[in-house]
Amino acid sequence: MPSHKEICDACTLGGSFPVRGEGLSRRRLFRVAGTAIVGSYFADVLTAPRLEAASAPALQGTARNCIFIFMAGAPSHSDTWDLKEGAWTPAAFAPTSYGDLRFAQGLMPKIATQLDKFVFVRPVFSWAAVHGLAQTWAQKSRNPTGVLGDVSPHIGSVVSLEAQAQRKPGDILPGFVGLGTSSMIGSGYMSSRYAPLVVPTVSTTGLQSVKPPNAAVFAERYALLQTLDTDRAPGAPYGDVPADMADFYSQAKALADSPTINATFSYNASDYARYGSTQFGATAIIAKQLLAANQGTRFVQLTVGGWDNHANIYAANAGLFNQMKAFDPAVGTLLADLAVVPGAATGKTLLNETLVVLIGEFGRTVGPVNAQGGRDHFQRMSVAFAGGGVRGGRAIGVTDATANKVVDYGWSGNRDIRIEDLTTTIYSALGIDYTTVLHNDPIGRGYEYVPFAKDGVYFPVNEVF
Amino acid sequence: MPRMDRTGAPVDRKGVARSLALTLVTLTLVTAAALRAEDEPDTDADTAASSSFSSTAGDCPFGAATPRGGRLIIQRAPDELLREGRVAPAAFLARSHGQVGLSSPSAPARTHRGLIDVEIFGKMATDGIAPAERSTDAEFLRRAMLDLTGQIPSVAALTAFTLDERPDKRDLAVENLLRSDAFDDRWAMWLGDLVENVKTTVANGVEQPLGRDAFFTYLRTSLAHAKPYDQLVREILAGNGDSFASGPPNFWIRNIATMGVTQDTWDNEAAAAGEKFLGMQVNCTGCHNGAGHTDAVNVYLSTKTRMDFWKNAAFFAQTAVSTAVDPASTQRKYLLADVTTGSYLLNTKSGNRPARAPVTGQSNKVDPAFYLTGEKPQPGKPLRAEFARMLTAHPQFARATVNYIWKEMFGVGIVEPVDGFDLYRLDPAALPPGQTVQASHPALLAQLATQFASGGYDVRALLRAMANSEAYQLSSRYTPAAWSETYTRYFARRITRRMTSEQLLDAVFSASGVWPTGTSSDALSVQGWATPPTRAIQLPDPLEARGSRYNAFLNTFLRGNRDTNPRSSDTSALQALALMNDANTILPRLLQSNAGSLVARTLKATTKPEDIVDALWLGTLSRPPTAAEKATAVTYLKSGKLGPKTENLQWALFNKLEFAFY
Repeated sequence: MPSHKEICDACTLGGSFPVRGEGLSRRRLFRVAGTAIVGSYFADVLTAPRLEAASAPALQGTARNCIFIFMAGAPSHSDTWDLKEGAWTPAAFAPTSYGDLRFAQGLMPKIATQLDKFVFVRPVFSWAAVHGLAQTWAQKSRNPTGVLGDVSPHIGSVVSLEAQAQRKPGDILPGFVGLGTSSMIGSGYMSSRYAPLVVPTVSTTGLQSVKPPNAAVFAERYALLQTLDTDRAPGAPYGDVPADMADFYSQAKALADSPTINATFSYNASDYARYGSTQFGATAIIAKQLLAANQGTRFVQLTVGGWDNHANIYAANAGLFNQMKAFDPAVGTLLADLAVVPGAATGKTLLNETLVVLIGEFGRTVGPVNAQGGRDHFQRMSVAFAGGGVRGGRAIGVTDATANKVVDYGWSGNRDIRIEDLTTTIYSALGIDYTTVLHNDPIGRGYEYVPFAKDGVYFPVNEVF
Repeated sequence: MPRMDRTGAPVDRKGVARSLALTLVTLTLVTAAALRAEDEPDTDADTAASSSFSSTAGDCPFGAATPRGGRLIIQRAPDELLREGRVAPAAFLARSHGQVGLSSPSAPARTHRGLIDVEIFGKMATDGIAPAERSTDAEFLRRAMLDLTGQIPSVAALTAFTLDERPDKRDLAVENLLRSDAFDDRWAMWLGDLVENVKTTVANGVEQPLGRDAFFTYLRTSLAHAKPYDQLVREILAGNGDSFASGPPNFWIRNIATMGVTQDTWDNEAAAAGEKFLGMQVNCTGCHNGAGHTDAVNVYLSTKTRMDFWKNAAFFAQTAVSTAVDPASTQRKYLLADVTTGSYLLNTKSGNRPARAPVTGQSNKVDPAFYLTGEKPQPGKPLRAEFARMLTAHPQFARATVNYIWKEMFGVGIVEPVDGFDLYRLDPAALPPGQTVQASHPALLAQLATQFASGGYDVRALLRAMANSEAYQLSSRYTPAAWSETYTRYFARRITRRMTSEQLLDAVFSASGVWPTGTSSDALSVQGWATPPTRAIQLPDPLEARGSRYNAFLNTFLRGNRDTNPRSSDTSALQALALMNDANTILPRLLQSNAGSLVARTLKATTKPEDIVDALWLGTLSRPPTAAEKATAVTYLKSGKLGPKTENLQWALFNKLEFAFY
């Protein structure tokens, strides 16, 4: 067994993070290490050297897409996916039993109608209780302050890389799309082709600036640009950073030329109302449309903030009630819609093919609320999975009366579930060998898809399937 | 041995230089009046770049404080140069276009090598790596102006600079740029990024535009007055008083930890000081000892303990922080004051960091001691002032600062990451077993830092030494051999980078000649400011211009928020889409029907395709076209109706990678 040297058990390093060294572009770092991987936008780069695990793990392979709903700010687990009732519980929560599940039907009426699709994973424990660190950890599946912390990619970039070989002609959409925030984690040291297409705000008119006013003029201009811009060519004397940008021009051109792109990236009034008439609801609509389009997007992150309820968590028009006014109709309607939209394979729905993950960076203090009527940072947390082969209507693990300590872990690991375990679960569902180690990282250390997974330290929570 | 051009033909350096100059003169004579944008906002960056210099700068050795006098400025118009006989009219009239050799500079390289060149070229020579050629005058001027003032040169400035035949004209241009107001704008943006001056943050969500303004004004004024950098940092770290009336207290406010215990804030202040001014992640030891955690990342930090961190943070424990409502604005402001009581106690179980508790049997009171030296404060002196004194006196302060600024000028730090110094991996002669040196050029870093310190922490002197080095003036094109990314850390060529959001937007304004009108959404509006700035580089923080039609463009190029989201030079498909299709920023600036646009002004002055091509290249890319480019573009312009074809050509130049990358 490896030492846990890299794993920072008590670490709650907070505040600002080291800014990534921008001077060395990801690709430049790549090459400093001596492994040159360049090429045109559509080139297959899955030739990266790998270290094969002694024996490849059994993978679920039940999903082809992932919608990763990131609840930034850390939702209160004991009010949501692991409801604990007490004197503090507002009557309006209307706790209701659904089989073995207790659920705040009054707080989340729409999600309550979809509980047959959800499995709630309860013995989860965050490594950190400070937002920046824990958020980055959750999205990179590794300690951001560790050796490869600064240059490691978002897990969506890994999914995008793995799906690269499956791209077909006409797949104009990037593998990884991030909606609802401008501050997405990128592809780290990997090619910018696996970075998320970030759309901070979606609108009824489509992707901002994507469509030129006159297609014929645009085509002529673009052709002229190709004759003049010899610096775009591979091996041009300006090097790799502009070459990255040239990749993006190719991608942008394909998007601009697409007759359906605006439809994919916009929404109509009827759907907007069904999803709760909020910006978050609109991003959920577009996530569904991106996957339904089946043009190359495989991982969509929706980021929704506002869960950091240190004060007034139960106030009528603030705190959780306010959050859920946007969150509940969006997520509930999304699940209902995914279940009826046809998937890529015959006879499958998008829900069959899409693993939906609802996750924050940590949980919140439990039991009676604090002096400000809120809940503070807490490492115990819960995560919800749906779709993509998940067997719903259940919970994994049992916590005590306040959702503090674990009474029954409820999974084969028989210990706290860490973010790394959850990532192996996601990768397994998507058919990705989570024990993979790439040896093209800038310092030659080896980039593990999930640290220590190849050593068996972390492994999937197969009980969710 | 005669110099060869790329075709192998010998190059007449002087002839080529004159040919470039003549292209510029011809262009200028044809379209000079038309090309001058009438509504161009006042700036002295251009003037500075294109002016002769005649002040005391020559008496100002590296290290001495930069005088602010002698802000000169005599515009040398091309026709004046012609009158003086520097260029013979008959000669240029006899010459044709298209003979410009871009790889050949017209200003001669200096023969004496300073510290930077000795180290940079010395290491390349030792390892058998050839440097790129020297930049052309046009490449140099665009680079120096963008790096020192954030702006691209106007055609007039470019023309005058190119025609200037004085051998030291690059030094003179650098000197003038260092003394320009535009310098203060651009480096106030850099300083604001470093100290993360912003009106609101996630942790401290109350909007504080007046505090932000006070800090912004303080930083910019300090630059304008050439305040020594160590003094600036001491003032920031030890600031007292009213956060709306004085800049420095806002550094403290920026780092307040909400929803936590007071020790969390003190920890944040110490962590920020370590990162911003020492280039070190002392914060790693804010939650745990370094041993067992940072061993593989940072040898120095692995020897430090959480107690070391606490002692360092204890310097902040005797600061009284109160708030009050500012009567005029009704905004809540902060008041900072040194007090003589208050201790860092190990008695917390809540907040943002792991519990703080003493070793059993020991006191829970932590006495202040500086992280790097263990030095204790002198009795009776304010703790923060003592901390600031120790920090700025330590060699790591100068090293970190020199390295931050080096990265800003050269694209990559001598130590990377610039905020990840490992003090035990700096000296090649004293490396721990199995470790490698962190710095690419350790002796250079050490000597630059020593000179920076002994010369009074003069930022301009440091920038002058960098900009005047031959290393800085290498071309971004690498022609000696196939480029290898392993040459990057040798600085074997100029490392290109994308312009920042602000540089790029200003370049679009400047190249097109269409500036914001300053009214309604066509303005770079700032909360609380009666008059919006004319240039994006003058914005006080990256949250501003929210109501502006240019806000989305600025955000697309990842200016960040000086909080959770750092400025980034990453590229994206959305950036390509913005440069191609942005209906607020790009498309209207292409139009002949837009009377102020470069396209409109050029077509008003000439219908000759060759001259149009020259004008668009000079105005947009700050250089004349190559012969091949010119042939392609002229053929294109002749292929249809001149107006739309010229608009399309302008579009292509905005989207040429060379426009956004420099």
